Amino acid sequence: MHGRKAYQLVKEFAGSEKGHLKIFNDELLERVAEECNEHRNALQSLIRKMQEEGLEVQTARNADHYGALVHHLSLIRNKRCLMAYVYNRAEIIRDLAWKVGLLHELPCEIKEKFSDSEEQYFKDHSKSLKMYMSQLSLDVNVDMVPPKDPYIKVRVLEDLGSGIILSDKSANFASHSMHFLKRTDAEQYIARGLMEELIS
Amino acid sequence: MAGQSDPHISLFSAEEVEFMAEDELIEIVPNMRMDPLNFICGDFGPFLPQIASQVPLWLAVALKKRGKCAIRPPQWMSVENLTRVLEGERESQGAFQVLPFHYVEISRLLFDHAREDIPDMYMVRSLIEDIRDVRIHKVETSLEKFSGTSAVKIPNLSAMEVNIIRPFVGRALQAFYKHDNPEKIPDVDRASSAQTRAANNEPRRQLRR
Amino acid sequence: MASGAGEWSAEQIDDYETLISTTDVELLKRAWRNEKASPEILPFEEALVKRAKEQIQLMEETVDDFAESGHDPLIASLYQMDLDRAQFLLRSYLRVRLQKIEKFMFHIWKMDTYRNRLSIEEEKFTERCIRDIGKYLEETVLSKLPDNYQSVLKQSIISEEDDMVPEPQLDTFVVAKCERATRPLYLDGSRQSASFDSRDDHFQMVPGDLCILRYRPFQEELMSGNISLV
Repeated sequence: MHGRKAYQLVKEFAGSEKGHLKIFNDELLERVAEECNEHRNALQSLIRKMQEEGLEVQTARNADHYGALVHHLSLIRNKRCLMAYVYNRAEIIRDLAWKVGLLHELPCEIKEKFSDSEEQYFKDHSKSLKMYMSQLSLDVNVDMVPPKDPYIKVRVLEDLGSGIILSDKSANFASHSMHFLKRTDAEQYIARGLMEELIS
Repeated sequence: MAGQSDPHISLFSAEEVEFMAEDELIEIVPNMRMDPLNFICGDFGPFLPQIASQVPLWLAVALKKRGKCAIRPPQWMSVENLTRVLEGERESQGAFQVLPFHYVEISRLLFDHAREDIPDMYMVRSLIEDIRDVRIHKVETSLEKFSGTSAVKIPNLSAMEVNIIRPFVGRALQAFYKHDNPEKIPDVDRASSAQTRAANNEPRRQLRR
Repeated sequence: MASGAGEWSAEQIDDYETLISTTDVELLKRAWRNEKASPEILPFEEALVKRAKEQIQLMEETVDDFAESGHDPLIASLYQMDLDRAQFLLRSYLRVRLQKIEKFMFHIWKMDTYRNRLSIEEEKFTERCIRDIGKYLEETVLSKLPDNYQSVLKQSIISEEDDMVPEPQLDTFVVAKCERATRPLYLDGSRQSASFDSRDDHFQMVPGDLCILRYRPFQEELMSGNISLV
């Protein structure tokens, strides 16, 4: 049935948890693209048939005309679905660029969900953000939430060892240890799920 | 954006509403001496023991947390005033009593950080909770009177109440508006009009090749 | 001041009072609220951002001095909090704008009105965004489609307008606070109510009024500062 595969593709995106990506479905995407080309071929052969029958393609209103129209509209619908799929994924990728792209490599469990182009897009967008910030001489990926006291209490969720040196201190950030850190120092680790803020 | 792939980018988070409320001025009575503070957000002080001074709420709370002052609850937070407000809210169906735009956030911050400075704290808290409940109920019933319109005054509504009704009322009014102005509806209808165009004028160039 | 007041219009006095009593933080907060709540990107507050950056830099130096000189840590932490608040506002303001650019880049880029509202840095960012996503969409989808269906902006070459470009929805409703009295506004014949229960043909606001408004007819009032969004 026309458009079914494209619909599955969109549904797959819509069915994933908000803000999370499933593995890029290359196979289904290629099949939808193939279907687009089949529509294109069918559409062209209908036009050719009308021309061979000496009909004016612009004005004739026979079965072939409406057949061609259905192929055209199906193709457009498929295109919109394909674009919706990749465009919505692009939004999540940009979101990731904000959160982690400026600091670190992507974690493997996210990376494996990406297609090669998506990984490149992630790098490109991270770089565009970096360019903006360096031109402005201002980091805009910190202070994501309104400030409270400059110092916050955090608990380390994953062992980070003692290799990390923050703006005003270094410490052994062993798993489950608690620290008073400057909020700006801690935020990047909180965003990556490596620390959590303790609310008094 | 970052952390907000949420389509409602226009919404203020609870933290952001609180952030705005923290700029409201409040009176403190310091227990220490401190030079004036020349902040980006304005100049405050000098601070002298037992001499009341006006500061933003965030500063009041910070000083309070560090044991440097007592906070004077604002006048509207007295039991007498709140009792009067609650009666007023109950008596009038449509109108809302005058309260600060950030009354919910201000009172919550004070309950959290300055409870010993609030006389009749439990009474005050329960009055504010009651007022909140009555008002939210009124907001809900007022919504029934909304109809196709481009502008509605919502006198005396507070920040929290605005935040509650914003998503719903925004969508509802937009739906009314679309209903009244079918010719102005974008996106969804754009697609169908393009289809009609294709159907009537028929697919042009790409069919010819 | 009192002697001159007679010659001034009420509006001028309002403006003057706003000018002397409003700090840049207050103005930045308003710009941030407006930007967050409006569906479209607003004109970049260039002068304000410049001033805010300067003040933040000065304050950073002050706070650093405090740390080095072993100043009273209480006072140092208070100045730090003031600094943090200003920085949050500035960063969040800039961030909301980048977020809108990410969302509406194609639309912003083709409309001069919007393009002129960007800072130089934002303009470069937009250009890069379009290039990056263009490449990504091209590689992933568009190059695999038949010839006449490969546009990123149009569904196919028979589309007369750009029918694949996300646009801000200007008929969305926003919550606004009146800062200065507005002129009575006739809302293009659509029905309207002046409050929860009374109705009027003309809509007018006075300072302090809180309203839910359809964004489009009130754009000018927002740009002129007569209303702000909350």
